[in-house]
Amino acid sequence: MSARTESLLQPRPTPLKGFVALSVAAHIVFPVLLTIIGWLIAPPKVALDPQPIKASLVRLGKKRDEKLLPRKEEPPPPPPAAEKTAPAVTPAPPDKAVAIPSKDAKADPKKDAAKEPAKDAKKSLFDAFNKTGRPTPDEPEGDPDGDKDGDSSKQEGERYFGLLSAVVKRNYDVSDTIPEGERRTLRATVVIKLGVTGELVDVELSKGSGNELFDAAVVGAVKKAAPFGPPPAHLRDSLKKNGVALVFSP
Amino acid sequence: MKTPLRLAALLVVTAVPALAQQPVIEISGANFRPMPLALPVPLAQDDGAKGATAEFDAALQFDLQACGLFQVLDRKSYLSDSKEGVTASTITFQNWLNVGAESLVKTQLSKDGENLRGDLRLFNVNAGREELKVSEAVPLKDARRLAHKLANAVYKHFTKETGPFESRIAFVRKSASGKDVYVADWDGKNASAVSNGNINVLPAVAPDRSVAFTSYKRGKPELFIGRGGAEATLLVSNGRMVSGVDFSPDGKRIAYSVADGENAEIWVANADGSGGTKVTDTKYFLNSSPSWSPDGKKLAFVSNRAGSPQVYVMNADGSDVKRLTFQGNYNQTPAWSPRGDLIAFTARDERNAFDLFTVEVATGKIKRLTQDAKNNEEPSFSPNGRLILFTSTRGGSKSLYVMTFEGNNQVALPLDKGDFTTPDWGS
Repeated sequence: MSARTESLLQPRPTPLKGFVALSVAAHIVFPVLLTIIGWLIAPPKVALDPQPIKASLVRLGKKRDEKLLPRKEEPPPPPPAAEKTAPAVTPAPPDKAVAIPSKDAKADPKKDAAKEPAKDAKKSLFDAFNKTGRPTPDEPEGDPDGDKDGDSSKQEGERYFGLLSAVVKRNYDVSDTIPEGERRTLRATVVIKLGVTGELVDVELSKGSGNELFDAAVVGAVKKAAPFGPPPAHLRDSLKKNGVALVFSP
Repeated sequence: MKTPLRLAALLVVTAVPALAQQPVIEISGANFRPMPLALPVPLAQDDGAKGATAEFDAALQFDLQACGLFQVLDRKSYLSDSKEGVTASTITFQNWLNVGAESLVKTQLSKDGENLRGDLRLFNVNAGREELKVSEAVPLKDARRLAHKLANAVYKHFTKETGPFESRIAFVRKSASGKDVYVADWDGKNASAVSNGNINVLPAVAPDRSVAFTSYKRGKPELFIGRGGAEATLLVSNGRMVSGVDFSPDGKRIAYSVADGENAEIWVANADGSGGTKVTDTKYFLNSSPSWSPDGKKLAFVSNRAGSPQVYVMNADGSDVKRLTFQGNYNQTPAWSPRGDLIAFTARDERNAFDLFTVEVATGKIKRLTQDAKNNEEPSFSPNGRLILFTSTRGGSKSLYVMTFEGNNQVALPLDKGDFTTPDWGS
């Protein structure tokens, strides 16, 4: 070999073009492949901005005819009070003083009833008319499949959240002095965490409304409503770790 | 290389809980409750003011209690001395906190020449600070008006809206000789008769405070108007039965009903009764009780064109008629809220009780305001739309009551015994 042919300056075949072409092809093909694979095996999307759950608990009762005028929504009756046992006391001596009948004193209703049989008959007749078509107190209006703790005329969402919502709502008292115009825009978020027995582990006003009275009222509503009922097994961990966000609006 | 890998792993681990879905529950339908407010007896600073104290006090108490914003606390529960000072430094706020007050209103009255002067201070009890100080003067005999002025100042402080306490209402009171129309302060006090004998009903207060009404004094019903205490004069008469007038919010037009045989139609005319035009045309049906929308472009009215009396709305020229109520089979006396969003009306429910409801103009959604309190009828909105004046038989005879537009805080006006009907709330 001559010295001329071995010169480093002599042009020689190079693989650079091939590498560049391969690199360009790889840069095009790989993203396309990754996108296709991503589409094929993509997990369900995580909602970073979750939609609010509308949860309401329908009350147990008879369905109301939609053509009738609405009745006022009323909270469920309070649970029956535990029977109080009267403390044993020494009976007081009988009062011997005779009461002097006053001018305004009401007459004995029994005597009145005896005097006015006609009025009574009329009253009972009216009562009979009044009862026509009226549900008895034992038949509240709601849904035959409803819940005894329900407070709404329709059922939506997870039952436990409906119950939670109903209990908080019962304590959701806000001062009437908040101006009407301001009420439309008020919105506050409270995040609560619950223990396994439904006790309030943590409560935090995560987003205030800008109105002190309203913010205090929504936090107060949660605190007054606690403790809640024990969460169902499938919600227990989530409610303890992540909690639930309650978004209040008037 | 190990440290960056550990860092990346840590970031992934901490990001997972953040991405975990947190349930979000929306809660609305707050129970708006009146603010607990303490209102001690006014302090009279001189003998001249002493005589006016009781009347002033009664009017101020009623205003603040009946407007629905406040729960005026029982004076028997107050712990502070009645002669406690009226400045923040002289007030023991803990005593007011202990009785549950969130606000405290202190008033002082004094004679100022021929005038009665009233000074009012409003305190935030929690913060222990004065939030409002206002002073007004009126002729000595107008102690109630002074109370209304000061109550308006408190109302405006909280709501940023003009209070209703200096507005006027009209109503009908049954008398031995028939029924007469009266105009009075918002609480029914300071009433004066607009009509004089015979049967006079369905008053409407114009923006200039004149009062139009339906009168049977000449046999058939006709419209009359009373201005500034002068004897009422004829407004509309056309040989048929004219009744149920309502003024447009600008006071330039009136709407009323004209009945002829089995048919009644709505008419619109100028406020002086001229230029009457029939705006409904439904042979054999009844159209009555017109009520103007706050922008003066529409009318709410009652019609039985679909078989039963229901509330309808239409343009003021009679075009674009829409039925608004579909629940109940006897809906009447619509009153359009000055805010425009609601129409209050009377309905007979399935128990044959008359009760008050509102219907949302935009959606037709009906809300019940009264329930299980005998018969409640004839609603009329306050000028700011926050209160509704109505009649109720819950106390025996028909009397006047007010409540909030949501049906809360139903309070009787402090009227003498009597039979009161068809109230109308003016400006």
